[in-house]
Amino acid sequence: MATPPDTLDKVGAGLDALDVPTEAHKPPFWRRFLKTGVPPLIAFALLLGVWQALWASALLPEFQLPAPVNVWNELVRSVSSGEAFGILWTSLHRAVLGFLAAVLIATPLGLLIAKVRVVRAAIGSLLTGLQSLPSVAWVPAAILWFGVTPSTIYFVVLMGSVPSIANGLVAGIDQIPPLLPRVGRALGAGRFASARHILLPAALPGYLAGLKQGWAFSWRSLMAAEIIATSPQLGTGLGQYLHNGSSLNDINMVIAAIFLILLVGIGIELLLFRPLERAVLRARGLTGAL
Amino acid sequence: MTATLETALLSTSDTAVELSGVRKVFGHGSSAVVALDGVDLKVKPGEFVCLLGASGCGKSTLLNIVAGLDGATSGDLQINTSRPAVMFQEPALMPWLTAARNVELALRFAGVGRLARKRRALELLELVRLGDVADKRPHELSGGMRQRVALARALASTTVSADGSPALLLMDEPFAALDAITRDVLQSELLRVWETTNTAIIFVTHDVREAVRLGQRVVLLSSRPGRVVREWDVRDSSDEVLGEINTHLREVISGHAS
Repeated sequence: MATPPDTLDKVGAGLDALDVPTEAHKPPFWRRFLKTGVPPLIAFALLLGVWQALWASALLPEFQLPAPVNVWNELVRSVSSGEAFGILWTSLHRAVLGFLAAVLIATPLGLLIAKVRVVRAAIGSLLTGLQSLPSVAWVPAAILWFGVTPSTIYFVVLMGSVPSIANGLVAGIDQIPPLLPRVGRALGAGRFASARHILLPAALPGYLAGLKQGWAFSWRSLMAAEIIATSPQLGTGLGQYLHNGSSLNDINMVIAAIFLILLVGIGIELLLFRPLERAVLRARGLTGAL
Repeated sequence: MTATLETALLSTSDTAVELSGVRKVFGHGSSAVVALDGVDLKVKPGEFVCLLGASGCGKSTLLNIVAGLDGATSGDLQINTSRPAVMFQEPALMPWLTAARNVELALRFAGVGRLARKRRALELLELVRLGDVADKRPHELSGGMRQRVALARALASTTVSADGSPALLLMDEPFAALDAITRDVLQSELLRVWETTNTAIIFVTHDVREAVRLGQRVVLLSSRPGRVVREWDVRDSSDEVLGEINTHLREVISGHAS
Protein backbone atom coordinates (compact mmCIF):
# COMPACT_ATOMS: atom_id res chain seq x y z
CA MET A 1 0.00 0.00 0.00
CA ALA A 2 2.88 2.29 0.81
CA THR A 3 4.57 1.73 -2.54
CA PRO A 4 3.61 4.29 -5.18
CA PRO A 5 2.30 2.75 -8.42
CA ASP A 6 5.15 4.13 -10.56
CA THR A 7 7.71 2.20 -8.57
CA LEU A 8 5.61 -0.97 -8.80
CA ASP A 9 5.38 -0.57 -12.57
CA LYS A 10 9.15 -0.40 -12.72
CA VAL A 11 9.43 -3.46 -10.49
CA GLY A 12 7.00 -5.25 -12.81
CA ALA A 13 9.00 -4.30 -15.88
CA GLY A 14 12.16 -5.47 -14.12
CA LEU A 15 10.57 -8.80 -13.22
CA ASP A 16 9.50 -9.29 -16.84
CA ALA A 17 12.98 -8.49 -18.10
CA LEU A 18 14.43 -11.04 -15.69
CA ASP A 19 11.78 -13.60 -16.55
CA VAL A 20 11.94 -13.46 -20.33
CA PRO A 21 13.72 -16.65 -21.35
CA THR A 22 17.08 -16.27 -23.01
CA GLU A 23 17.27 -18.00 -26.36
CA ALA A 24 19.73 -20.84 -26.27
CA HIS A 25 21.64 -20.70 -29.54
CA LYS A 26 21.81 -23.86 -31.59
CA PRO A 27 25.15 -25.66 -31.74
CA PRO A 28 26.67 -25.98 -35.25
CA PHE A 29 25.67 -28.90 -37.45
CA TRP A 30 28.87 -30.89 -37.08
CA ARG A 31 28.66 -30.77 -33.29
CA ARG A 32 25.08 -32.00 -33.29
CA PHE A 33 26.12 -34.78 -35.67
CA LEU A 34 29.01 -35.67 -33.39
CA LYS A 35 26.61 -35.94 -30.46
CA THR A 36 23.69 -37.82 -32.02
CA GLY A 37 24.97 -39.38 -35.24
CA VAL A 38 28.31 -40.82 -34.23
CA PRO A 39 27.36 -43.05 -31.23
CA PRO A 40 24.96 -45.28 -33.23
CA LEU A 41 27.54 -45.59 -36.02
CA ILE A 42 30.16 -46.71 -33.51
CA ALA A 43 27.70 -49.20 -31.98
CA PHE A 44 26.96 -50.59 -35.44
CA ALA A 45 30.65 -50.89 -36.26
CA LEU A 46 31.28 -52.73 -32.98
CA LEU A 47 28.44 -55.13 -33.75
CA LEU A 48 29.92 -55.84 -37.16
CA GLY A 49 33.31 -56.39 -35.57
CA VAL A 50 31.94 -58.93 -33.07
CA TRP A 51 30.06 -60.69 -35.85
CA GLN A 52 33.18 -60.84 -38.04
CA ALA A 53 35.24 -62.17 -35.13
CA LEU A 54 32.65 -64.83 -34.31
CA TRP A 55 32.58 -65.90 -37.93
CA ALA A 56 36.41 -65.98 -38.10
CA SER A 57 36.54 -68.17 -34.99
CA ALA A 58 34.48 -70.76 -36.95
CA LEU A 59 32.57 -71.86 -33.85
CA LEU A 60 29.43 -72.21 -35.94
CA PRO A 61 29.16 -73.76 -39.41
CA GLU A 62 28.87 -71.41 -42.36
CA PHE A 63 25.19 -72.23 -43.01
CA GLN A 64 24.30 -70.96 -39.54
CA LEU A 65 26.57 -67.96 -39.22
CA PRO A 66 27.47 -66.35 -42.54
CA ALA A 67 30.29 -63.89 -43.10
CA PRO A 68 29.17 -60.27 -42.98
CA VAL A 69 30.54 -59.74 -46.47
CA ASN A 70 28.36 -62.54 -47.89
CA VAL A 71 25.22 -60.94 -46.45
CA TRP A 72 26.38 -57.63 -47.88
CA ASN A 73 26.81 -59.25 -51.29
CA GLU A 74 23.30 -60.71 -51.11
CA LEU A 75 21.95 -57.24 -50.29
CA VAL A 76 23.90 -55.67 -53.15
CA ARG A 77 22.65 -58.38 -55.52
CA SER A 78 19.00 -57.89 -54.63
CA VAL A 79 19.30 -54.12 -54.79
CA SER A 80 21.18 -54.00 -58.10
CA SER A 81 18.76 -56.46 -59.73
CA GLY A 82 15.90 -54.28 -58.52
CA GLU A 83 14.39 -57.22 -56.63
CA ALA A 84 14.77 -55.43 -53.28
CA PHE A 85 12.67 -52.47 -54.38
CA GLY A 86 9.82 -54.70 -55.52
CA ILE A 87 9.91 -56.59 -52.23
CA LEU A 88 10.06 -53.42 -50.15
CA TRP A 89 7.26 -51.85 -52.13
CA THR A 90 4.99 -54.89 -51.73
CA SER A 91 5.42 -54.91 -47.96
CA LEU A 92 5.55 -51.18 -47.35
CA HIS A 93 2.42 -50.30 -49.29
CA ARG A 94 0.53 -53.03 -47.45
CA ALA A 95 1.78 -51.79 -44.09
CA VAL A 96 0.95 -48.16 -44.88
CA LEU A 97 -2.54 -48.96 -46.22
CA GLY A 98 -3.24 -51.23 -43.27
CA PHE A 99 -1.95 -48.62 -40.83
CA LEU A 100 -4.07 -45.83 -42.35
CA ALA A 101 -7.16 -48.04 -42.20
CA ALA A 102 -6.32 -48.81 -38.58
CA VAL A 103 -6.07 -45.07 -37.79
CA LEU A 104 -9.49 -44.47 -39.37
CA ILE A 105 -11.06 -47.27 -37.32
CA ALA A 106 -9.21 -46.74 -34.05
CA THR A 107 -9.64 -42.96 -33.70
CA PRO A 108 -13.44 -42.86 -33.38
CA LEU A 109 -13.27 -46.10 -31.39
CA GLY A 110 -10.82 -44.54 -28.92
CA LEU A 111 -12.95 -41.38 -28.60
CA LEU A 112 -16.02 -43.52 -27.87
CA ILE A 113 -14.24 -45.58 -25.24
CA ALA A 114 -12.75 -42.51 -23.58
CA LYS A 115 -15.93 -40.44 -23.47
CA VAL A 116 -18.79 -42.95 -23.20
CA ARG A 117 -18.82 -44.77 -19.89
CA VAL A 118 -20.87 -47.78 -21.07
CA VAL A 119 -18.61 -48.38 -24.05
CA ARG A 120 -15.54 -48.23 -21.83
CA ALA A 121 -17.05 -50.71 -19.38
CA ALA A 122 -18.08 -53.01 -22.22
CA ILE A 123 -14.99 -53.19 -24.41
CA GLY A 124 -12.24 -51.25 -22.63
CA SER A 125 -10.54 -54.26 -21.08
CA LEU A 126 -11.16 -56.38 -24.17
CA LEU A 127 -9.19 -53.87 -26.21
CA THR A 128 -6.34 -53.89 -23.71
CA GLY A 129 -6.42 -57.69 -23.77
CA LEU A 130 -6.24 -57.72 -27.56
CA GLN A 131 -3.09 -55.65 -27.31
CA SER A 132 -1.32 -58.45 -25.49
CA LEU A 133 -2.55 -61.10 -27.95
CA PRO A 134 0.18 -61.66 -30.55
CA SER A 135 -1.45 -60.91 -33.88
CA VAL A 136 0.23 -64.01 -35.38
CA ALA A 137 -2.42 -65.91 -33.48
CA TRP A 138 -4.97 -64.51 -35.94
CA VAL A 139 -3.18 -65.89 -39.02
CA PRO A 140 -4.57 -69.45 -38.95
CA ALA A 141 -8.11 -68.21 -38.37
CA ALA A 142 -7.77 -65.52 -41.04
CA ILE A 143 -6.55 -68.10 -43.59
CA LEU A 144 -9.61 -70.23 -42.87
CA TRP A 145 -11.91 -67.20 -43.20
CA PHE A 146 -10.38 -65.36 -46.15
CA GLY A 147 -8.06 -67.90 -47.77
CA VAL A 148 -4.49 -66.95 -48.61
CA THR A 149 -5.45 -63.53 -49.95
CA PRO A 150 -4.54 -59.91 -49.22
CA SER A 151 -7.65 -59.78 -47.01
CA THR A 152 -5.98 -62.19 -44.61
CA ILE A 153 -2.92 -59.98 -44.42
CA TYR A 154 -4.90 -56.79 -43.89
CA PHE A 155 -7.06 -58.45 -41.25
CA VAL A 156 -4.00 -59.47 -39.26
CA VAL A 157 -2.46 -56.01 -39.59
CA LEU A 158 -5.66 -54.36 -38.35
CA MET A 159 -5.99 -56.71 -35.39
CA GLY A 160 -2.41 -55.81 -34.50
CA SER A 161 -2.58 -52.05 -34.70
CA VAL A 162 -6.16 -50.94 -33.92
CA PRO A 163 -5.94 -51.75 -30.17
CA SER A 164 -2.66 -49.85 -29.78
CA ILE A 165 -3.90 -46.72 -31.49
CA ALA A 166 -7.26 -46.70 -29.71
CA ASN A 167 -5.61 -47.33 -26.33
CA GLY A 168 -3.11 -44.55 -26.96
CA LEU A 169 -5.91 -42.10 -27.63
CA VAL A 170 -7.80 -43.24 -24.52
CA ALA A 171 -4.67 -42.81 -22.38
CA GLY A 172 -4.07 -39.39 -23.93
CA ILE A 173 -7.60 -38.24 -23.09
CA ASP A 174 -7.48 -39.73 -19.58
CA GLN A 175 -4.34 -37.77 -18.81
CA ILE A 176 -5.74 -34.34 -19.69
CA PRO A 177 -5.69 -32.15 -16.57
CA PRO A 178 -9.38 -31.69 -15.64
CA LEU A 179 -8.85 -27.95 -15.32
CA LEU A 180 -8.40 -27.52 -19.09
CA PRO A 181 -11.88 -28.67 -20.19
CA ARG A 182 -13.26 -26.70 -17.23
CA VAL A 183 -11.56 -23.55 -18.48
CA GLY A 184 -13.03 -24.33 -21.88
CA ARG A 185 -16.50 -24.44 -20.37
CA ALA A 186 -15.89 -21.20 -18.50
CA LEU A 187 -14.84 -19.61 -21.78
CA GLY A 188 -18.08 -20.74 -23.37
CA ALA A 189 -16.99 -23.76 -25.41
CA GLY A 190 -19.75 -26.14 -26.45
CA ARG A 191 -19.28 -29.92 -26.55
CA PHE A 192 -18.01 -29.98 -30.10
CA ALA A 193 -15.78 -26.90 -29.77
CA SER A 194 -14.34 -28.33 -26.59
CA ALA A 195 -13.47 -31.63 -28.29
CA ARG A 196 -11.97 -29.89 -31.30
CA HIS A 197 -10.01 -27.14 -29.56
CA ILE A 198 -9.21 -28.60 -26.16
CA LEU A 199 -9.60 -32.39 -25.81
CA LEU A 200 -7.97 -33.48 -29.08
CA PRO A 201 -4.95 -31.15 -28.95
CA ALA A 202 -4.47 -31.90 -25.24
CA ALA A 203 -4.54 -35.65 -25.96
CA LEU A 204 -2.14 -35.36 -28.89
CA PRO A 205 1.04 -36.61 -27.13
CA GLY A 206 -0.71 -39.79 -25.97
CA TYR A 207 -2.37 -40.24 -29.35
CA LEU A 208 0.96 -39.87 -31.09
CA ALA A 209 2.52 -42.47 -28.80
CA GLY A 210 -0.37 -44.77 -29.71
CA LEU A 211 0.17 -44.12 -33.43
CA LYS A 212 3.84 -44.93 -33.08
CA GLN A 213 3.12 -48.19 -31.30
CA GLY A 214 0.32 -48.91 -33.75
CA TRP A 215 2.74 -48.56 -36.66
CA ALA A 216 5.24 -50.91 -34.98
CA PHE A 217 2.48 -53.44 -34.39
CA SER A 218 1.19 -53.25 -37.95
CA TRP A 219 4.71 -53.76 -39.30
CA ARG A 220 5.30 -56.75 -37.03
CA SER A 221 1.90 -58.25 -37.80
CA LEU A 222 2.51 -57.79 -41.50
CA MET A 223 5.82 -59.64 -41.31
CA ALA A 224 4.24 -62.47 -39.34
CA ALA A 225 1.38 -62.75 -41.82
CA GLU A 226 3.71 -62.69 -44.82
CA ILE A 227 5.99 -65.37 -43.39
CA ILE A 228 3.13 -67.75 -42.67
CA ALA A 229 0.75 -66.99 -45.52
CA THR A 230 2.69 -67.37 -48.75
CA SER A 231 1.18 -67.88 -52.17
CA PRO A 232 2.01 -66.69 -55.69
CA GLN A 233 -1.17 -64.61 -55.54
CA LEU A 234 0.29 -62.51 -52.73
CA GLY A 235 3.50 -61.63 -54.55
CA THR A 236 6.83 -61.40 -52.76
CA GLY A 237 7.02 -59.16 -49.72
CA LEU A 238 9.77 -59.06 -47.13
CA GLY A 239 8.15 -61.87 -45.17
CA GLN A 240 8.00 -64.16 -48.21
CA TYR A 241 11.59 -63.26 -49.07
CA LEU A 242 12.59 -64.33 -45.57
CA HIS A 243 10.51 -67.48 -45.86
CA ASN A 244 12.12 -68.30 -49.23
CA GLY A 245 15.58 -67.84 -47.74
CA SER A 246 14.72 -70.29 -45.01
CA SER A 247 13.31 -72.82 -47.50
CA LEU A 248 16.44 -72.57 -49.64
CA ASN A 249 18.66 -72.98 -46.55
CA ASP A 250 20.27 -69.69 -47.59
CA ILE A 251 21.35 -67.98 -44.38
CA ASN A 252 22.65 -64.97 -46.33
CA MET A 253 19.16 -64.30 -47.66
CA VAL A 254 17.60 -64.77 -44.20
CA ILE A 255 19.93 -62.31 -42.51
CA ALA A 256 19.58 -59.85 -45.41
CA ALA A 257 15.78 -60.03 -45.03
CA ILE A 258 15.96 -59.43 -41.27
CA PHE A 259 18.28 -56.52 -41.96
CA LEU A 260 15.80 -55.00 -44.43
CA ILE A 261 12.88 -55.43 -42.01
CA LEU A 262 14.86 -53.62 -39.31
CA LEU A 263 15.90 -50.92 -41.75
CA VAL A 264 12.28 -50.10 -42.57
CA GLY A 265 11.38 -49.98 -38.89
CA ILE A 266 14.24 -47.66 -38.02
CA GLY A 267 13.72 -45.55 -41.16
CA ILE A 268 10.04 -44.84 -40.46
CA GLU A 269 10.82 -44.03 -36.83
CA LEU A 270 13.60 -41.61 -37.75
CA LEU A 271 11.94 -39.98 -40.75
CA LEU A 272 8.34 -39.78 -39.57
CA PHE A 273 7.62 -40.37 -35.89
CA ARG A 274 10.72 -38.90 -34.27
CA PRO A 275 10.36 -35.44 -35.93
CA LEU A 276 6.57 -35.42 -35.32
CA GLU A 277 6.97 -36.32 -31.67
CA ARG A 278 9.75 -33.79 -31.26
CA ALA A 279 7.63 -30.98 -32.73
CA VAL A 280 4.61 -31.85 -30.56
CA LEU A 281 6.57 -32.20 -27.33
CA ARG A 282 8.76 -29.18 -27.91
CA ALA A 283 5.70 -26.96 -28.51
CA ARG A 284 4.52 -27.98 -25.01
CA GLY A 285 7.88 -27.45 -23.37
CA LEU A 286 8.32 -31.19 -22.73
CA THR A 287 11.92 -31.39 -23.83
CA GLY A 288 13.20 -33.79 -21.20
CA ALA A 289 13.21 -36.83 -23.48
CA LEU A 290 14.78 -35.11 -26.48
CA MET B 1 0.80 3.01 -23.15
CA THR B 2 -2.48 1.82 -21.69
CA ALA B 3 -5.06 0.76 -24.20
CA THR B 4 -8.54 1.94 -23.43
CA LEU B 5 -11.30 -0.56 -23.90
CA GLU B 6 -14.75 0.34 -25.04
CA THR B 7 -17.05 -1.14 -22.46
CA ALA B 8 -20.25 0.78 -22.52
CA LEU B 9 -22.33 0.85 -19.39
CA LEU B 10 -25.77 1.12 -20.89
CA SER B 11 -27.51 -1.34 -18.63
CA THR B 12 -30.49 0.08 -16.84
CA SER B 13 -30.13 -2.29 -13.92
CA ASP B 14 -27.99 -1.17 -11.02
CA THR B 15 -26.98 -4.69 -10.04
CA ALA B 16 -24.61 -6.83 -12.05
CA VAL B 17 -25.07 -9.94 -9.93
CA GLU B 18 -27.70 -10.76 -7.37
CA LEU B 19 -27.73 -13.88 -5.23
CA SER B 20 -30.57 -14.50 -2.85
CA GLY B 21 -30.79 -17.42 -0.46
CA VAL B 22 -28.30 -19.49 -2.40
CA ARG B 23 -27.80 -22.89 -0.83
CA LYS B 24 -25.49 -25.64 -1.96
CA VAL B 25 -25.39 -29.17 -0.55
CA PHE B 26 -22.87 -31.78 -1.65
CA GLY B 27 -23.76 -35.44 -1.29
CA HIS B 28 -26.94 -37.01 0.01
CA GLY B 29 -28.44 -38.22 3.27
CA SER B 30 -26.26 -38.42 6.35
CA SER B 31 -23.03 -37.74 4.47
CA ALA B 32 -24.38 -34.52 2.98
CA VAL B 33 -22.23 -31.43 3.48
CA VAL B 34 -23.79 -27.98 3.43
CA ALA B 35 -21.29 -25.78 1.64
CA LEU B 36 -23.43 -22.66 1.34
CA ASP B 37 -26.40 -21.82 3.49
CA GLY B 38 -28.58 -18.94 2.36
CA VAL B 39 -26.06 -16.56 0.87
CA ASP B 40 -27.32 -13.12 -0.21
CA LEU B 41 -25.01 -10.93 -2.23
CA LYS B 42 -25.42 -7.98 -4.55
CA VAL B 43 -22.70 -6.67 -6.84
CA LYS B 44 -23.10 -3.40 -8.72
CA PRO B 45 -21.80 -2.99 -12.27
CA GLY B 46 -18.14 -2.08 -12.19
CA GLU B 47 -17.83 -2.85 -8.49
CA PHE B 48 -14.84 -4.68 -7.00
CA VAL B 49 -15.98 -7.09 -4.29
CA CYS B 50 -13.66 -9.36 -2.33
CA LEU B 51 -15.03 -12.57 -0.84
CA LEU B 52 -12.99 -13.37 2.21
CA GLY B 53 -12.99 -16.57 4.20
CA ALA B 54 -10.97 -19.43 5.61
CA SER B 55 -10.75 -22.73 3.80
CA GLY B 56 -14.01 -24.63 3.65
CA CYS B 57 -16.17 -21.53 3.61
CA GLY B 58 -17.47 -22.37 0.15
CA LYS B 59 -16.09 -19.25 -1.50
CA SER B 60 -14.91 -21.24 -4.52
CA THR B 61 -18.26 -23.00 -4.66
CA LEU B 62 -20.01 -19.65 -4.64
CA LEU B 63 -17.83 -18.46 -7.49
CA ASN B 64 -18.47 -21.61 -9.50
CA ILE B 65 -22.20 -21.12 -9.09
CA VAL B 66 -21.99 -17.54 -10.36
CA ALA B 67 -19.78 -18.76 -13.22
CA GLY B 68 -22.38 -21.34 -14.19
CA LEU B 69 -19.90 -24.19 -13.74
CA ASP B 70 -21.95 -25.54 -10.86
CA GLY B 71 -25.64 -25.38 -10.01
CA ALA B 72 -27.08 -24.18 -6.69
CA THR B 73 -29.21 -26.62 -4.70
CA SER B 74 -31.73 -23.87 -4.06
CA GLY B 75 -31.93 -20.10 -4.15
CA ASP B 76 -31.87 -17.47 -6.84
CA LEU B 77 -29.07 -16.23 -9.06
CA GLN B 78 -29.50 -13.29 -11.37
CA ILE B 79 -26.78 -12.03 -13.67
CA ASN B 80 -27.27 -8.84 -15.69
CA THR B 81 -23.90 -8.93 -17.39
CA SER B 82 -22.37 -10.58 -20.39
CA ARG B 83 -20.94 -14.09 -19.90
CA PRO B 84 -18.88 -14.05 -16.70
CA ALA B 85 -15.17 -14.71 -17.12
CA VAL B 86 -13.33 -16.92 -14.66
CA MET B 87 -9.73 -16.92 -13.50
CA PHE B 88 -8.43 -19.77 -11.39
CA GLN B 89 -5.52 -20.11 -9.02
CA GLU B 90 -3.58 -21.78 -11.82
CA PRO B 91 -3.31 -19.96 -15.14
CA ALA B 92 -4.55 -23.12 -16.93
CA LEU B 93 -3.32 -21.90 -20.30
CA MET B 94 -3.42 -24.38 -23.17
CA PRO B 95 0.22 -25.49 -23.27
CA TRP B 96 0.23 -26.03 -27.04
CA LEU B 97 -0.91 -22.50 -27.89
CA THR B 98 1.05 -19.26 -27.83
CA ALA B 99 0.00 -16.47 -25.46
CA ALA B 100 -1.86 -14.69 -28.27
CA ARG B 101 -3.60 -17.89 -29.37
CA ASN B 102 -4.69 -18.61 -25.82
CA VAL B 103 -6.40 -15.23 -25.67
CA GLU B 104 -7.84 -15.77 -29.14
CA LEU B 105 -9.34 -19.09 -28.04
CA ALA B 106 -11.81 -17.26 -25.80
CA LEU B 107 -12.80 -15.03 -28.73
CA ARG B 108 -13.09 -18.01 -31.07
CA PHE B 109 -15.61 -19.68 -28.75
CA ALA B 110 -17.57 -16.43 -28.82
CA GLY B 111 -17.64 -16.57 -32.61
CA VAL B 112 -15.43 -13.55 -33.29
CA GLY B 113 -13.94 -13.43 -36.80
CA ARG B 114 -10.30 -14.21 -37.50
CA LEU B 115 -8.92 -10.73 -38.04
CA ALA B 116 -10.90 -9.14 -35.24
CA ARG B 117 -9.70 -11.95 -33.00
CA LYS B 118 -6.06 -11.25 -33.75
CA ARG B 119 -6.43 -7.52 -33.20
CA ARG B 120 -8.39 -7.85 -29.98
CA ALA B 121 -6.02 -10.49 -28.53
CA LEU B 122 -3.03 -8.24 -29.10
CA GLU B 123 -4.91 -5.30 -27.62
CA LEU B 124 -5.63 -7.27 -24.46
CA LEU B 125 -2.07 -8.53 -24.20
CA GLU B 126 -0.89 -4.93 -24.48
CA LEU B 127 -3.27 -4.08 -21.66
CA VAL B 128 -1.46 -6.53 -19.37
CA ARG B 129 1.86 -5.38 -20.87
CA LEU B 130 2.64 -8.64 -22.62
CA GLY B 131 2.50 -7.46 -26.23
CA ASP B 132 6.15 -8.43 -26.66
CA VAL B 133 5.71 -12.06 -25.73
CA ALA B 134 2.51 -12.70 -27.70
CA ASP B 135 4.26 -15.45 -29.68
CA LYS B 136 5.74 -17.25 -26.68
CA ARG B 137 4.25 -20.44 -25.38
CA PRO B 138 3.20 -20.80 -21.71
CA HIS B 139 6.27 -22.83 -20.75
CA GLU B 140 8.48 -19.98 -21.90
CA LEU B 141 6.79 -17.50 -19.55
CA SER B 142 7.15 -16.98 -15.82
CA GLY B 143 4.32 -17.74 -13.39
CA GLY B 144 3.33 -14.10 -13.11
CA MET B 145 3.34 -13.62 -16.87
CA ARG B 146 1.19 -16.72 -17.34
CA GLN B 147 -1.33 -15.42 -14.85
CA ARG B 148 -1.45 -12.13 -16.76
CA VAL B 149 -2.10 -14.01 -20.01
CA ALA B 150 -4.91 -15.78 -18.15
CA LEU B 151 -6.23 -12.37 -17.12
CA ALA B 152 -6.17 -11.17 -20.72
CA ARG B 153 -7.96 -14.35 -21.79
CA ALA B 154 -10.59 -13.91 -19.08
CA LEU B 155 -11.14 -10.31 -20.16
CA ALA B 156 -11.47 -11.49 -23.75
CA SER B 157 -14.26 -13.84 -22.80
CA THR B 158 -16.22 -11.30 -20.83
CA THR B 159 -16.00 -8.11 -22.82
CA VAL B 160 -16.93 -9.49 -26.22
CA SER B 161 -20.67 -9.03 -25.97
CA ALA B 162 -21.90 -6.47 -28.46
CA ASP B 163 -25.06 -5.55 -26.61
CA GLY B 164 -23.16 -3.34 -24.21
CA SER B 165 -24.05 -5.22 -21.07
CA PRO B 166 -21.46 -4.73 -18.34
CA ALA B 167 -18.70 -7.25 -17.89
CA LEU B 168 -18.09 -9.54 -14.93
CA LEU B 169 -14.82 -11.11 -13.88
CA LEU B 170 -14.70 -13.92 -11.31
CA MET B 171 -11.33 -14.60 -9.73
CA ASP B 172 -10.60 -17.58 -7.51
CA GLU B 173 -7.44 -16.79 -5.53
CA PRO B 174 -5.61 -15.96 -8.74
CA PHE B 175 -2.42 -14.73 -7.08
CA ALA B 176 -2.18 -17.26 -4.26
CA ALA B 177 0.49 -19.36 -5.96
CA LEU B 178 2.80 -16.45 -6.80
CA ASP B 179 5.77 -15.09 -4.88
CA ALA B 180 5.29 -11.93 -2.81
CA ILE B 181 6.88 -9.42 -5.19
CA THR B 182 5.06 -10.77 -8.23
CA ARG B 183 1.80 -10.79 -6.30
CA ASP B 184 2.34 -7.17 -5.31
CA VAL B 185 2.94 -6.17 -8.94
CA LEU B 186 -0.02 -8.16 -10.22
CA GLN B 187 -2.35 -6.63 -7.65
CA SER B 188 -1.53 -3.14 -8.89
CA GLU B 189 -1.79 -4.44 -12.47
CA LEU B 190 -5.26 -5.78 -11.73
CA LEU B 191 -6.37 -2.49 -10.18
CA ARG B 192 -5.16 -0.63 -13.26
CA VAL B 193 -6.95 -3.04 -15.60
CA TRP B 194 -10.11 -2.78 -13.50
CA GLU B 195 -10.02 1.02 -13.68
CA THR B 196 -9.55 0.97 -17.48
CA THR B 197 -12.15 -1.68 -18.28
CA ASN B 198 -14.84 -0.91 -15.72
CA THR B 199 -15.49 -4.60 -15.17
CA ALA B 200 -17.31 -5.82 -12.09
CA ILE B 201 -15.01 -8.17 -10.20
CA ILE B 202 -15.73 -10.80 -7.58
CA PHE B 203 -12.39 -11.73 -6.09
CA VAL B 204 -12.06 -14.71 -3.77
CA THR B 205 -9.17 -14.70 -1.31
CA HIS B 206 -8.14 -15.81 2.16
CA ASP B 207 -5.70 -12.91 2.53
CA VAL B 208 -7.17 -9.98 4.46
CA ARG B 209 -4.48 -7.57 3.30
CA GLU B 210 -5.11 -8.45 -0.35
CA ALA B 211 -8.86 -8.11 0.09
CA VAL B 212 -8.56 -4.66 1.66
CA ARG B 213 -6.03 -3.43 -0.87
CA LEU B 214 -8.00 -4.51 -3.92
CA GLY B 215 -11.68 -4.36 -3.06
CA GLN B 216 -14.17 -1.59 -2.62
CA ARG B 217 -16.15 -3.93 -0.42
CA VAL B 218 -15.03 -6.95 1.59
CA VAL B 219 -17.54 -9.71 2.34
CA LEU B 220 -16.59 -12.15 5.09
CA LEU B 221 -17.97 -15.68 4.82
CA SER B 222 -18.19 -18.17 7.67
CA SER B 223 -17.04 -21.75 7.24
CA ARG B 224 -19.14 -24.93 7.03
CA PRO B 225 -21.73 -23.87 6.21
CA GLY B 226 -20.77 -20.71 4.33
CA ARG B 227 -22.84 -17.70 5.26
CA VAL B 228 -22.24 -13.98 4.92
CA VAL B 229 -20.97 -12.86 8.33
CA ARG B 230 -20.29 -9.19 7.73
CA GLU B 231 -19.42 -6.65 5.06
CA TRP B 232 -17.04 -3.72 5.14
CA ASP B 233 -16.74 -0.76 2.84
CA VAL B 234 -13.00 -0.48 2.36
CA ARG B 235 -12.77 2.28 -0.26
CA ASP B 236 -10.84 4.51 2.12
CA SER B 237 -9.21 1.66 3.90
CA SER B 238 -7.45 2.30 7.18
CA ASP B 239 -5.39 0.03 9.36
CA GLU B 240 -8.26 -0.14 11.84
CA VAL B 241 -10.54 -1.81 9.29
CA LEU B 242 -7.77 -4.25 8.47
CA GLY B 243 -7.43 -5.12 12.14
CA GLU B 244 -11.18 -5.41 12.57
CA ILE B 245 -11.58 -7.76 9.63
CA ASN B 246 -8.66 -9.83 10.87
CA THR B 247 -10.27 -10.17 14.29
CA HIS B 248 -13.54 -11.32 12.77
CA LEU B 249 -11.83 -13.81 10.49
CA ARG B 250 -9.97 -15.27 13.48
CA GLU B 251 -13.23 -15.56 15.40
CA VAL B 252 -14.82 -17.43 12.51
CA ILE B 253 -11.90 -19.83 12.33
CA SER B 254 -11.50 -20.41 16.08
CA GLY B 255 -15.20 -21.22 16.29
CA HIS B 256 -14.28 -24.53 14.66
CA ALA B 257 -11.60 -25.43 17.22
CA SER B 258 -13.77 -27.41 19.63
